[in-house]
Amino acid sequence: MKSKNMSSYILDVLTYLSTIITVFALGLILFFLIREGSALIRPSLLTSDYFEQKYISSLPDEYELYTGTLPELTEDQFAIDNYGLIVEESRDKAGATVVRVVYLSDNSPLRNLLNENPAFQNEPLSLSEGMVINRVAYENRGSSLPSRGAAAMAEEMNNTDNIIRQFDFGVEGGGIRGSIIATVYLILMTLIIALPVGVLTALYFNEFAPSNKITNSMRSFIEVLTGVPSIIYGLMGVAVFVPLTTSLFQINSSNLIAGALTLAVILLPVIIRTTEESLRTVPNSHRFASLALGANKTQTTFKVVLPQAFSGILTATFLGIGRVIGESAALIFVLGTAIKDQVRILEPATSLAVHIFTVMSNEPANVELAAAIGVIILTIVLI
Amino acid sequence: MTNTPSKSKKSRVFLTRTDRITRNILLGFGIISSSFIFIIAFFITLEGIIPFVTDNDGLGTVNLWRFLTGGIWLNGRTFVSTAYGAGYLIIQTLYLAFLSLLLSFPIGVMSALFIAEIAPKRLANFMRSVVELMASIPSIVYGLVGAGFFLPIIYNFGQLFGISSAAGAGTLGVVLVLGLMSLPTIIAISEVSIRSVDPSLKQASLALGATPTQTRFKIILLAAKNGIFSSAILAIGRSLGEATAVALVAGNARSGPNFGLFDITSTMTSMMLSGLKETTGIDFNIRFSVGLLLMVVILITNFILNYIKRRIGNLDEV
Repeated sequence: MKSKNMSSYILDVLTYLSTIITVFALGLILFFLIREGSALIRPSLLTSDYFEQKYISSLPDEYELYTGTLPELTEDQFAIDNYGLIVEESRDKAGATVVRVVYLSDNSPLRNLLNENPAFQNEPLSLSEGMVINRVAYENRGSSLPSRGAAAMAEEMNNTDNIIRQFDFGVEGGGIRGSIIATVYLILMTLIIALPVGVLTALYFNEFAPSNKITNSMRSFIEVLTGVPSIIYGLMGVAVFVPLTTSLFQINSSNLIAGALTLAVILLPVIIRTTEESLRTVPNSHRFASLALGANKTQTTFKVVLPQAFSGILTATFLGIGRVIGESAALIFVLGTAIKDQVRILEPATSLAVHIFTVMSNEPANVELAAAIGVIILTIVLI
Repeated sequence: MTNTPSKSKKSRVFLTRTDRITRNILLGFGIISSSFIFIIAFFITLEGIIPFVTDNDGLGTVNLWRFLTGGIWLNGRTFVSTAYGAGYLIIQTLYLAFLSLLLSFPIGVMSALFIAEIAPKRLANFMRSVVELMASIPSIVYGLVGAGFFLPIIYNFGQLFGISSAAGAGTLGVVLVLGLMSLPTIIAISEVSIRSVDPSLKQASLALGATPTQTRFKIILLAAKNGIFSSAILAIGRSLGEATAVALVAGNARSGPNFGLFDITSTMTSMMLSGLKETTGIDFNIRFSVGLLLMVVILITNFILNYIKRRIGNLDEV
């Protein structure tokens, strides 16, 4: 009897322990993502480019100093009145001090710079907000460097005795703007393709299909799709949609449309099932009432039944968005893993999930950036 | 569920000309949707058999037997050889999937038992949202946590015992990631089936003097075993097909099979993801062959597991 009690006790403890492990696992995932990613999560991550860029420029021979006013400064910001510029001090990924532009007036002379790079001799160049200033060299004295702090740089630039000889600035890199845009494109295009097909299919099955063997097997064919791993969809995208779109649009690379088509097939079973579930909740009395009033079946279906299924379609849309954001394997196959800053629909690009895969596969893996993107993905999915 | 009585009533409605046109258009969409599974199967088969039936631009055909049983992914110099072997990938894929189930199944089922039977209502609701949250995390994030968090720990742990591992990547990492990832699937489905156990069974057991713990483990779990087994089948299916998360932690072994917990490993999916640069030729097509193989393995595994499930049977029917 005693051993019975003992085993019961152990089983109870194991049950509680399992539950704790489950909660702990989720906590661990969230804790890890936030700990690693929090340093990078700031607006500039979302709006800046992935690839670092550096410009060496000079001011034109004759330029006018800025004379207007500047907006209010917050803490840690420094105004450079002569150039209509406000900068702040922050740190880059390696922990070094950088001077970032937070405000630049439209009339600032720094909007009209000349490219000193021999390849782009004297082409116009403009500083803009979010960029970092790498060096300011003067005619008559030593350069201002970001390592000496934003305050020192502001002071030296404000001194009208100092004539700027060379102005080096750039984009810090490591941003995910391109991937965000690509993800948005993918979501929109996928839904535009998948929603009509899915909803109309659901309408057919629920309103028009005769209940016979053919209908049942058609349903099961769609149901089978849910069990297909996404990497297989990726293979299909490469084999079917990439050749299809390249010949259709006369281009020679993979493209976001092929990616969206692939994702649309992945979403189809989800959309069909969710829509059908909500179509089933529409009471038959509504259908009969509409028919009795003289409406034909088409009118009944589209004007009476379909509007009532709206909530189901909305649910399907949200499920679809979540799936598109989280999908990685299929997109890696169709679109590749090359991160793009300039996203075009007829060119490949990476979604946020693929961006994580790319930076994690690089040597060395950029865990901080990946975790930051992970936090962003989770935030979107959970909302 | 599809053959509700109202269905037959509905189909007797008189269809006008417009209605017939509408029906045919909608039927067209229905046919498109249900044909994708065949499009997938057809095109992957089409591309996947090319390495075995053509001479691959003079390289010669791939030996099917060697492909199915080989222990080295590619013999000889890459791109000029047809000596592909994927047999070890099949073994490793199945090994990893079942090992991860070994980790997630007991934890998942007991957590489900806790949620369905023990937890007070509020705690149960909290646990359900925990599970929902875990289910909504994309797999790439699990892979990221595996690569960023587990691998360094595994590496240090290995060092402690004098085992050197490839920066921690390998079997143990994959098992942890896959186990974590299949946990919400197992909990959610097991919980539903545990809750749907007939309460009279539980009451009868308690009335006969069994303790609540005995009732839970000997009666309720047994009665819900059909649903619990289904959850395991789904979890295995997900593990077999998972690609990116596994690729981040596997270490991508090009020969095998490796069974050691600290050895690097690889699966069919991770091998398909490696070396994506090619767009034509045998190195491209061989990925379709592996994809075809993966589909066959998943189908066979599902078939066998469902057969076992049927053999074990359901207590309700006894």
